[in-house]
Amino acid sequence: MSFLREVQLKDKFGPFAAFQTGLGFVPNLVHAQAPLPRLIEAQAMLESAVRLREGAIPRVQKERILLSVAAERQDAYCVPLDSRILSSLGVSDVHIDALVADYRRADLSASELACLQFCLKLSRDAPSVCSGDIDALRACGFGDESIFEAVVVTALAVYRCTLSVGLRPEPDFGPRKLPWTTFDQPQSLARHGLLRDAHEAEQRKGPYVPAPYLSPKTFAPFAIVQKSHGFIPNFFRAQTLRPDLLEAELEAVGRILLPEEALTRVQKESILLAVSAANLNSYCVAMHCNLLRGLGMPSEEGDQIAVDYHEANLSVADKALLDFAVKLGTRAQEFSRGDVVNLQAVGFTEEQILECVVVTALNNFANTLQMGLGIEPDFAPPPVFEENKVHLSDAVATPIGCQGGVYRADVLQDLDAELVAQAQGGKLEAFEELVRRHTQLIYRTLMGMLGNPADAQDGLQDTFLSAFKHISGFQGRSKFSTWLVSIARNTALQRLRGRKNVESLDEPEHEEEADFRPRQVRSWEDNPEQSHSKSEIKQLVEAGILGLPAKYRVVVVLRDIEQLSTDEVARELGLSVPAVKTRLLRGRLMLREWLSPHFTASTKGAVK
Amino acid sequence: MITCEEFFAEFADYMENQVSPEIRKELNLHLSQCRACQVLYDTSLKTVKIVTESGSFELPHSVSDPIIDCVMAKLRKDRS
Repeated sequence: MSFLREVQLKDKFGPFAAFQTGLGFVPNLVHAQAPLPRLIEAQAMLESAVRLREGAIPRVQKERILLSVAAERQDAYCVPLDSRILSSLGVSDVHIDALVADYRRADLSASELACLQFCLKLSRDAPSVCSGDIDALRACGFGDESIFEAVVVTALAVYRCTLSVGLRPEPDFGPRKLPWTTFDQPQSLARHGLLRDAHEAEQRKGPYVPAPYLSPKTFAPFAIVQKSHGFIPNFFRAQTLRPDLLEAELEAVGRILLPEEALTRVQKESILLAVSAANLNSYCVAMHCNLLRGLGMPSEEGDQIAVDYHEANLSVADKALLDFAVKLGTRAQEFSRGDVVNLQAVGFTEEQILECVVVTALNNFANTLQMGLGIEPDFAPPPVFEENKVHLSDAVATPIGCQGGVYRADVLQDLDAELVAQAQGGKLEAFEELVRRHTQLIYRTLMGMLGNPADAQDGLQDTFLSAFKHISGFQGRSKFSTWLVSIARNTALQRLRGRKNVESLDEPEHEEEADFRPRQVRSWEDNPEQSHSKSEIKQLVEAGILGLPAKYRVVVVLRDIEQLSTDEVARELGLSVPAVKTRLLRGRLMLREWLSPHFTASTKGAVK
Repeated sequence: MITCEEFFAEFADYMENQVSPEIRKELNLHLSQCRACQVLYDTSLKTVKIVTESGSFELPHSVSDPIIDCVMAKLRKDRS
């Protein structure tokens, strides 16, 4: 009996055709997702593109990868299924039995052996994969496309095994004997994490296979990603070697993550963040922290989910959801029907549980792909996550939260911490020192938001008074300066509400932003600063910045004048990094238009 | 070669030096052959430099000190 209620879809349900044509039947793993047919569509897209479509790796070799990964994971559902599929391709039962028992004794060619070794390492211990592994494959004659496909097929194998553990469908065929143990003794994630850092200097950075440039203007899926995310993550850019696979993957991701009929977007992103953190995947942690911020979650909450979601400000039910996903995603051998019952007990419906399983499987697909291709991060992961990574990996070995191991985002190094503690104890001198340290930052934030010196000075006073009033409630989940900026933001918002013409700070980027094009195309003098006095330039810049709409003004002030990093600006303002980048570019280009008439070179240098 | 529109789509990351080697190569090639984008890039860099070095919205001590003194005086008064 599968874990969830079974629902019958008509045989004519479109996506079934992909399985019927490619495999000769529709596996129960697919039927088990019938309560949410869009999830079946997603799997059909992935399987058609990755498994069934002809590519650089022959179909039989792909099936060997799928079977070997399932065998090493001792997946009692996938092993009989994948064995039967391999058999239908003309592979003998003797060879299949040998492959399941121990691939090293299955009489494979040296290159195929190397490929399976790589795929199993990636499936078992993705953080340990490095450029040296890719070099070893190249030495065996694998080209870029073959390496790429080996990684994607492994990711698909991990996806299917996660589904099979989470849904436990009825087997399609009689059982097969599984190997007693994993083929190679896995080393602990912690050790690998440490080894990887130690050898980082010797290893090449990713991405490991070339990724030709694809423009959103000509590759429609990128235009959609750009619109939904505000940018194109490296995760997708690194897969342009096979645009057909990428397109299928983007379609599948859209079907799984975007609809909110079962779980909400925030719940799904939280699952992706928590499981990625447990898998020690810095890339995906940074990505999902940013996406959660874009969905309105404060940055410190996202950081806390990454470090230890048990301590995050989540409901009991949502913590149970993450417990379920992390266990399924990282400790599948311990997963049981009891975990499903636990989720039902806190009120989750079968559709929601099904979706949680599929989102977790998608997460493991993405984590495997990212580490196998060595995809470089788009943003810095939260510093507190990187600092705690080694502790987290210990916690994975002995489940998070089970060993009294509580990890908090407030271990973040904050130079203000001592003064804050004294101020919380009532020492006014300590508070005064904090105020003096951060006056410029707070004043510029207020100027950026309010655009008026008198209002900003009044706001400064209100911010500090309010900060002292509430300092005992500051728990150190963010840096003190970030907390102070959040008070300044609220102060400024109250003042803005009192104005007749309210300037919006929060409206999302619309298409007109994307369509904004600079008009001035005349070149400037070589050293424009030298033709004007310092005070003239300051006046010009201040007038230009004050003329910007508030949402651009505050970003330009914090990034270019206060010189915070893009990531810091995003954290301080509670925006996603892509939103900050879009606003910053627009603000800078508007300033450029404003400054141009003052710095344009003689007509000689103008563009005709 | 990529178009000006495609160059502009990558411009924010290019300015921040956050594009992959493959994309950087394409953008550099475009830049070497397109005068309009060269001007856009050069003047945008100059804009950032001018703004960064302008020291704008600096609150002089002559203004900030009385504000801080006033805040601290209020807090001390509230305490006593």
